[in-house]
Amino acid sequence: MRRLRFLSIPYWFWMGLFVLIPTLILIILAFSNLNIYNPDSFQFTLDNFRIFSENYLLKALTNSLYLSVITTVICFLIGYPVAFYLTTLSASVRRIWLSLLIVPLWANMLLRIFAWEKIFTPGSIFSDLTGINIDLLGSIPGVIIGMIGMYLPFMIFPIFSVLEKMDFSLIEAAKDLGATDFEVFRKVVFPLSIGGVVSGVIMTMLPAMTSFVLPERIGLAKYNLIGNIIHSKFMKEVMGSGALSINVGSLISILLMIFSVISFIIVTRFDKEGETLI
Amino acid sequence: MKKRRRRLQILKGIGIFFTSITFLLLYVPILLILVLSVNNSSRSYGWEGFTIKWYTTLFTDDIMREPIMNTLSIALLSTLIATVLGTIFAIGIHSLQKKQRIRLVLMNNIPVVNPDIVTGISLMIIFSILSFTLGYFTVLIAHVFFSIPYVVLNILPKLKRLDANLYEAGLDLGCSRLGGIWRVILPNISTGIITGALMAFTMSIDDFVITYFNSGNEYMNVSTWLYAKLAREGRSSLTPVAYAYNTIIFILTIFIIVFINRKTERKEKLI
Repeated sequence: MRRLRFLSIPYWFWMGLFVLIPTLILIILAFSNLNIYNPDSFQFTLDNFRIFSENYLLKALTNSLYLSVITTVICFLIGYPVAFYLTTLSASVRRIWLSLLIVPLWANMLLRIFAWEKIFTPGSIFSDLTGINIDLLGSIPGVIIGMIGMYLPFMIFPIFSVLEKMDFSLIEAAKDLGATDFEVFRKVVFPLSIGGVVSGVIMTMLPAMTSFVLPERIGLAKYNLIGNIIHSKFMKEVMGSGALSINVGSLISILLMIFSVISFIIVTRFDKEGETLI
Repeated sequence: MKKRRRRLQILKGIGIFFTSITFLLLYVPILLILVLSVNNSSRSYGWEGFTIKWYTTLFTDDIMREPIMNTLSIALLSTLIATVLGTIFAIGIHSLQKKQRIRLVLMNNIPVVNPDIVTGISLMIIFSILSFTLGYFTVLIAHVFFSIPYVVLNILPKLKRLDANLYEAGLDLGCSRLGGIWRVILPNISTGIITGALMAFTMSIDDFVITYFNSGNEYMNVSTWLYAKLAREGRSSLTPVAYAYNTIIFILTIFIIVFINRKTERKEKLI
């Protein structure tokens, strides 16, 4: 099939245009006063870095890290046993459960967030129907539960996909050799599933960290995340304080990109072909 | 032996416990959307009886017509384009030597791992540099862009399973280069193409973040329409028609996917 290599050439250009060039422009924007909507002349400057002395940004960074780490840890603690449990089921039953895990993702993300809003409001239709009053709107636990509800499947799928391929006779072998259940897990099962765990952690943590509608709605905009700051710099403040907000926004996006590049490198160390990504 | 069985039962219990939590977290909001779509109250504070009037309003009234049409047309068109391009690129990638292949797959995976907001902003930047006016066209390109990597990722494993000599054999037997793709490669990777296309479609129809950054002031899909309405008019402005729309799309998606899964399953068995 060597003759078909030429088919991959346009993809390089396509990716160059939509991934590499925008990244370069973002870097230039972050280190200069270039006005993207009126690009005449510009100077390189480090002025944009002043944002890091702003309290609201530091607050948003810590919020993002804190909320996404807690969400990811809980997703892992729930998701791993679920992924493992699924592999113990027979193939046909497993298929059904798996599809049931995917199905909720087909509902509109915004409407799912609005639904959580109602669940967390006392006296809403949810409490009218179930008699349960939950008052978590505008609270940290509310935001975290909402995030878990949104991103949990992204933890389960990659872990499941590696566990599914695992040779289960290894467990028997380890047991026959005298390993306890915990040792089997720690020395056999977990190391074999690490690729899926890494993908799962990143596929949960990055979206949680960068979400902006969820903290805005369920958190009542009390807790800003990086996503909220970027959103505001690129969409809201542009009208008021001029184009420099885009430069500051670019700087924060670059920061986020560095984070996602690091994650990306970690994922590809375990999974070169991206098989755990779908 | 007894002890071991007991331990297994405890492990199974833990599995069932966490699986129940998972389903609770995933399905309570979905069920609530379902309930809201048949609730006879426009402000949805409480249950006021069953109605299907929101479903009929959806088809007779104009309130959501434009965003719905926009969403569906972008989803169909972008899926079509992304599937064709993704298939071509996947075949190209698969034919590369190992080192280059891994490099391009890496590139392919960047948009998959990147947070939506970064992808959205990158595209917005490139569109403003190219001085494209944000609207239908830029949203279409954006959706094609984020869909292609998923199509590629779905097709590559199928190509891996395909014997490379088959294509050469096809050429030896008189196929042209393109004819060989059409007659030898495509039939063998069709299940990957279909699942890739389905993935692209379901992501396009629900996308909010990337559309939001690339749609400008005029164009709106259902998600950005909902978001703008809520930001402008507050929570009580959300019409139950939106829940009805979502429920219909949701059920349609389930039917389509079950139907296609059945078909591909049969096909996989034949191969």
